[in-house]
Amino acid sequence: MEKGVSASSGNGADIDARASAWAIRSAERALGEQEQKELDSWLAADSRHLGAYVRAQALWLDLDRVAALDGGARRNPSPPARKRVWRRYAMAASLAVVVAGGAVAYDQLAGRVATGRSEVRRIALEDGSIVTLNGNSAVQIRYEDDIRRVVLRRGEASFEVAHNSERPFVVSADGVKVRAVGTEFVVGIEDDGVEVTVEEGVVAIAGRASGLAAPRYIRRNEQFVAAATGPRKAMLDSADVERRIAWRKGLLVFNGQRLGDAAAEVNRYSDLRVTIDDPTLARAEFMGVFKLGDARAFANAAASAFNGEVHRRGNELVLVRQQNSPSH
Amino acid sequence: MDHGARLRWFARDVLPHEPDLRKWLAGRLRGLDSCDVDEVVQEAYARLWTADAEAIRNTRAYLYVTARHIVGEQVRRSRIVAIDLVADLDALNIVDEEMNVHRRLSGQEELARLHEILQTLPPKCREAFELKKFQDFSQRRIAEHMGIAESTVEKHLAKALRLVSEAMKQAPAGAENGKRRERKFWKWG
Repeated sequence: MEKGVSASSGNGADIDARASAWAIRSAERALGEQEQKELDSWLAADSRHLGAYVRAQALWLDLDRVAALDGGARRNPSPPARKRVWRRYAMAASLAVVVAGGAVAYDQLAGRVATGRSEVRRIALEDGSIVTLNGNSAVQIRYEDDIRRVVLRRGEASFEVAHNSERPFVVSADGVKVRAVGTEFVVGIEDDGVEVTVEEGVVAIAGRASGLAAPRYIRRNEQFVAAATGPRKAMLDSADVERRIAWRKGLLVFNGQRLGDAAAEVNRYSDLRVTIDDPTLARAEFMGVFKLGDARAFANAAASAFNGEVHRRGNELVLVRQQNSPSH
Repeated sequence: MDHGARLRWFARDVLPHEPDLRKWLAGRLRGLDSCDVDEVVQEAYARLWTADAEAIRNTRAYLYVTARHIVGEQVRRSRIVAIDLVADLDALNIVDEEMNVHRRLSGQEELARLHEILQTLPPKCREAFELKKFQDFSQRRIAEHMGIAESTVEKHLAKALRLVSEAMKQAPAGAENGKRRERKFWKWG
């Protein structure tokens, strides 16, 4: 691993071999400075190297999609056996994981992982737990012998925790602590406060900022929000939870949300923004499933659902109803 | 588009045309052997990667035209020397959108094809690949699981990717109207 990908000059097959080696390495982890230099100089040496590298990376990424279909096939026939659920999620979620060479900052010593906008990153931890980072989020992983600590610095992350009662798993976010022994949950730092949604199992919530005098247990399909106005708990149904975590699979799911809220969610992952100036349209209820970052597909679907049109305005896709179309 | 989005675009919109492109090149250019085809495809991908993806309306046509330009350039630079090639170049002027379009495999067919390809991998290579892609293991976990060094895992995975990608250069059997693959691809070692 310390050494570079072995060098050899030559024909298409050699190039493919080296391209594959680089693709595997850059998909697994961020390249070191020296490695990055080596890769850059290899890529610069011949444009065919770039072509082969792109091909290898795209194929490696696409194989996640194909492999995930296997998980789907096993899932379909019988109702889910909840025991092994984290592994199935693991496969499903790998569908749209962005394998961005160099785009993810992972400082191994500090255990810090950050994602950019329009990027969802899965991190397999040494104990078998999995952290999935939503776009524009950062976590710090601090594993110790008797405790597994993860600090959510910003954004949102979901946790699929491998069971180990000897070594509790504790996520802290803005002074709220979420403790689990083997479960699945999502923690987000939202405008409203820290939000914890439990998909499976039970977590205990505590910490100075939680607003709680004593630890409080949050169960499957429940949501806890440590809001400035005081802590609150909400019951969700499993469809809400599914929707809430769809980003982990690289999808955005809308099921009767207001179009305006849906657009805000889409914009979270896209540089191209969807804008709805018409307040009536923004309140309309909307259903649909979209790939993260695909603002265009969203705008087009919304336009056809509400008999509207999409206008391009700089970096914005403006949704208007036809009868209210502005003159331009 | 960021790097990840571009890769997804590439996987979704470009890679599926590759077997057809290869067949088209090999069928029309008698002077091209398979190495030359590799070269043209690699060069075409490099250009496609640096092109403005948003502006490309028809990826398939764009890919074919790019490949045709590359062949033309190489002929001029005499990197490919074949008398009959120049005449054949005219045949590349027409990009017929519907020509040789294989139907896309369904998800389950794709999966079956992958499993079929995996059968042909060396056992360790295949095991590492399966742990990675089907079990979502990290390389470190694969190393522990298989009792081998992490760097060896990396080598197995790189080889697996190369072999799988080699196999994917051809159109899937199911999409080719029952025509059997007659060429052998695997180069061991």
